[in-house]
Amino acid sequence: MQPRHSGTSLLTQVEVKRSISALTSADWLRLHKVARALCRNAGFQADDLLQEAFQRALDGTRQCTRTLDIIPFLAGVMRSIASDWRKARKRRPEMSLVTATGGVQALVLQVRDNSCVADEVLVSNEEAARLQRAIFALFADDAVAQRLLEGIMDGLAGAQLRSLTGLSQTEFASKRRLIRRRIDKAYPRDWTP
Amino acid sequence: MSQKKKGQWSRLDRLTETLVDDILASSDAELLAEAAVETDDGATLARRAFERASRTVAVRRIRRDKNTPAGRRLAPADIRALDPKTARGWLDAYLASNPETAGQLRRAARRDNKLSDEDVYGMLEVLQQRGVLTAKPIEQGRR
Repeated sequence: MQPRHSGTSLLTQVEVKRSISALTSADWLRLHKVARALCRNAGFQADDLLQEAFQRALDGTRQCTRTLDIIPFLAGVMRSIASDWRKARKRRPEMSLVTATGGVQALVLQVRDNSCVADEVLVSNEEAARLQRAIFALFADDAVAQRLLEGIMDGLAGAQLRSLTGLSQTEFASKRRLIRRRIDKAYPRDWTP
Repeated sequence: MSQKKKGQWSRLDRLTETLVDDILASSDAELLAEAAVETDDGATLARRAFERASRTVAVRRIRRDKNTPAGRRLAPADIRALDPKTARGWLDAYLASNPETAGQLRRAARRDNKLSDEDVYGMLEVLQQRGVLTAKPIEQGRR
């Protein structure tokens, strides 16, 4: 998939660009699907996330080890950026610096009125719960998929998750794919149907 | 943020992680078949995002180079674009001004103490990544 050298442990920026340029259609598609999945709950666009990940890889802000393929590397970069952007969005409404006259002395600190925080928590909490109910409803015809979903959301993984459903490795992979495809179809861009 | 709210959204975050894992584990054929059914133009959009990113990075490099006085430009991003003799010269110059590092680097090199071209390029790349490689005129020693 990409050039490998024994010299150093990190790909050079030229090698990173060469590796990305050589991606197949399926690889490009895979990257875009990953970006869309990460953006579903984030309030930003998949194309922006992808572009930012490419930029950080190309300018050397994020470096790829030679032992890692470029796709998992880029997926990791996107995960990290998405997490940072989500945190920034959460922080931004709470506090902002306004330069009334452009001078440092003129900085005005705007702090959000905390009295409405409890209400917002309640609304946000209810929104997440509603979304989970809607996702489970997509699998009303498939009790195994619902059990699997419950396990995934509870943080189970691997053998523990498979034992919850009694599925073999192949059946598990197949069911996980079914879950992804149904969710992709119901929520192609964000968590709005 | 209350623990309950954090927990509710964390459940959805865990689901997202699983969906990403599934995408990464899917075969090329499966993804292409899905895209054909759903008329998914993700591949084209991803390529365009890469082209935009490449242009942005290139423009930033040009601006950075313009702001750097001639003769003091940083070593090129691809150390391997240098010819072996120049590369060896750059490493010697670094080692001459950093004798304490010289011993460590040489011990890490081959037993006969003769550095191969690959050793030289590798060491220069490590120095470049650590930001300690002295700036050189970019025109010098290019192939």
